[in-house]
Order: sequence, then structure tokens, then C-alpha cells
Amino acid sequence: MGELADLVVLPLAQGFVRRALGAGLALGTASALLGVFVVQRGLGLVADGLAHATFGGLALGLLLGATSDRAIWIALPFTVAVALSIQQLRRRTTLGGDVATGVFFAVSFAAGVLFLGLRAPHAAPVNVEALLFGSLLAVSPEALAVTTLVSALVAALLLGVGPRLAYATFDPELARLSGVRVLALESLLLATTALVVVVGVKTVGVVLVSAFVVIPAATAQLLGRTLGTIVVLAVAASLLSTILGLFGSYHLNVAPGATIILTLGALFFLALALRRR
Amino acid sequence: MSLALAARDVVVELGGKRILDGVSFEVGRGEFAALCGPNGGGKTTFLRAALGLVPLAQGRIEVLGSRPGSARAGVGYLPQAKAFSASFPARAVDVIVAARRGSWPFRVSAAERERTHASLARVGGERLIDSELRGLSGGELQRVFLARALIADPALLLLDEPTAGLDERGRAEFLELLESIAVRSDLAAVLVTHNAAAVRRLADRALYLDGSVRAWGAPEEVLDREWDRVGAFSGRDHETPADARCEDA
Repeated sequence: MGELADLVVLPLAQGFVRRALGAGLALGTASALLGVFVVQRGLGLVADGLAHATFGGLALGLLLGATSDRAIWIALPFTVAVALSIQQLRRRTTLGGDVATGVFFAVSFAAGVLFLGLRAPHAAPVNVEALLFGSLLAVSPEALAVTTLVSALVAALLLGVGPRLAYATFDPELARLSGVRVLALESLLLATTALVVVVGVKTVGVVLVSAFVVIPAATAQLLGRTLGTIVVLAVAASLLSTILGLFGSYHLNVAPGATIILTLGALFFLALALRRR
Repeated sequence: MSLALAARDVVVELGGKRILDGVSFEVGRGEFAALCGPNGGGKTTFLRAALGLVPLAQGRIEVLGSRPGSARAGVGYLPQAKAFSASFPARAVDVIVAARRGSWPFRVSAAERERTHASLARVGGERLIDSELRGLSGGELQRVFLARALIADPALLLLDEPTAGLDERGRAEFLELLESIAVRSDLAAVLVTHNAAAVRRLADRALYLDGSVRAWGAPEEVLDREWDRVGAFSGRDHETPADARCEDA
């Protein structure tokens, strides 16, 4: 009992750990739900590209004078715009999705570096390491509220359009013939991916956020036989990894983003070993 | 005779190229029409235009009295190329129920399962109900997609080269299956095919399409008229005319 208190209760007695856990669980649920569709559509690289676009958006916010927390309100529309631009480039040209993503990935990130360099000399210094690797344990009450709100909205949206989005993911043409608005749903998927990635960057960072979207869904896909099972397994893997990774990071005194992703990775390789033949 | 499908002066252009040029013909309710012609002749494009997937540059298509894409419930479609995601966890029952619901079934009700079973039984595929699509053979996949096309009791069936890619036995079985469906029900069908045997066995009328309508009438007449000129018909899908002559003989 005493050991349990040391492992769980003591960390939870601290406000910053409770906020980190809340943000991690909210983000984990939304990104796992979203990840099922992203992975099925082969858009895993898009999540990574949007994370780098978020860097550009946050840097633009800082250039415009926003604080580190408020810059997210610039990054949100910026990243959604990048997501929809990637979709347009894929639709209107013969370029593949990976090429379209690669172009916006590089341009947005470079723009971010430029924006940071253009800031006034007396502007407050920016913790680029926190942007790249996240700061889950430093989540402010405001950032927690934004993360929870965005995650709840995305989860509700996906629960509402999930069956139609799944049909469009299985076969866009057959879905279209059944009256499903395939293009609108694809735009919605990319826009919501952008939203989740932006709030994810604030918690687990640019470098690791796409893993939050991709790994739970990939793990679940190895084990699940139906889409419903895959959704449940993806959310379970994400929540379990968040909890284990967060408490692990607390006790090891290392960055939680890394321990959460490593736990996700361990579950993925376990699923790989257990997958049905 | 009321019409299942009517095309009037249909022109379709894709990528700046005219694919269909002034195509006009009609298919009555309960009639089985075969759409034949060389590769690139516009057969599949016509089906896609009738489904509302391809815009018309000129002309008009009426499907069950409505514009293309409007009479979804009344039209069953068996695509030639199965473009579904191979990694998607899809069972036959899911695919068939999705066609009826218009959304993917995370849970299938007992009534939906029963109806799916009946539709699969109609095509001799009831044992496939819980099979994953990625594990099915070409013939089994065709049966599942035919059951999918039939699930809503359509008045018009659009079949795009249903025997392409099947071996000889699979082709014979599938033609027998289509024949039984055509005989037993009063549904109209448009069958895109390169298979002369299919045209002879199934079609009430045949249309030879090579950008525009070259021939339209009784299957034997169309086959005899176009056979030597182009050699587009064959007993086997996508084979050389020389092989086809042997096969068809």
C-alpha cells in the first residue's frame, strides 16, 4: 500500500502532475480516435508534416507578439490552412500525398525559423527545446482547458461522422455512390488532425506528436479484426501509455513525452509479437 | 415499355479528350443489355457517367427516370476494379450492410445480418458472410460485391466486366450466376464485357461502343457485324482476337 502511494498518490498530490495527466489523457483519446482513420488512409506522414507546420504557426504567433501560451491561437488556423493546402495540392496535381506533405513540412518549418529570427531583439526569449520536445509537466491551466476542449470536440465529431468517414476510408468511390460526401469528410479529417497536432505540440512537442497519432492506431491494427475493436484498442493503448509513461517520467525524472512514446513503442512491438498470423 | 436507363446524345470529355461522342440508347425495365467494344471505347466511362461519377459535357442520361446519382437505392453496381483499401478490416457482412446504410457498420444488427445472408445466398456465397475481404479469391470477391449490388433489391444493375480476372471455371460459374439472376428477377442490367459468351447467354440486346454507338440490336447481329471488323469480342476477357476465335469456337 505504501509503495502504491509512493508510485501514484504522491505524484497526483501535485497540481502540475494532475494537469499533465488530464492533458495527456484528453490528447491521447482524441489522437488515438483520429489515428485509426489517419493510419488506415496512409496519412501517417501528414501528422508529422502538420507537427512541423505547427512550429511555423507558433513562431508566427510569437512574431505577432503573442505569449507562448497564446501563440496557439495563431498556430491553430495556420496549421488547419496548411492541412487543407496539402489536400488541395494532392487533388489538383499529380503529386503524391508524401510529396505535398514534404513541401509544406519544409516550407512551414523554415518559415518558423524565419519568424523567430525576425522577432524584436528585446522580445522574450523562446524555449525552442520546449517547442520541439514538449513540456507536458509544464501545462498551464489555460493550456489544459484548450487541450481538453479541442480533444472533446474532435472526439465528439469523430463519433458523429465516424461511420461515414470509415466507409469513405474503405472505398471512397463506393461511399460516394452511397451518398457520402467523401471530399468534405477528407477535409474534416485533415482539419481535425491539424487541431489535435497543434495542441499535441504544446504537450509532447513537434518531434513526438505524430507518434501519439500513429502508434496507438498501428498497434491496434495489428490486433483488431473489426474497425470497432481497432478503435477501442487504439484508445486503450494510448491511455495506458500516457498513464505509465507519465508516472514513469516522474519517478525517473526525465521528459514525459519520451517515456509516453517509448511505452507506446513497447506496446506496438508487443502487439507485433502477439498479432494473429 | 418504361425505361430503366436512357442516354441521349451523351458527350463525355476527360482530360481534354472526347471519350463518348453522341451516345444514345435505351434499356427497358427487365431488359439485359450488353455493352461491348474495344478497350478505350468508353464502356466503363459510360457506366461511371450513369452513376454520376463522371460529368457529362453534353446530352442527358436518365437512370430510372432521374438524373445520374439520384436514384441510388434503385441501382446496384458491380465495379470492375476493386479499389477498396486492402489494409481496412472489412468483412463481407460489413461491406454489404454499408451499401444499404450509407455508412460503415461498427455493429451489425440481427435483421441486417439476416438480410445480408439472404443476399449472399442469392449468389451462392452465404458461407462468406464473416470472411475478411483480403482473404477472398477473385471469384469469391465478385460474389460478395454482387450480393452488395443486390442488397437493396435494385431495379437496375450495372456490371463492369464481372468476369475479368477470373479463371475459366470461375467465369463459367459467374455467368451461370448472372443468368439465374437475370431469369429469376425483372431487374434491368447493363453488362460491360469483352466476353462473347456472356453476350450470347445473357443479353437481350447488345451495343457496340467505340466512342460512339457503332451497333445496337440483337446480340447475334451485333456480334456477327463487329466480330471480323475489330475482333473485340472473345470467349475470354482481354485476350487476342486469334485466341478468342479458338476459345469461342
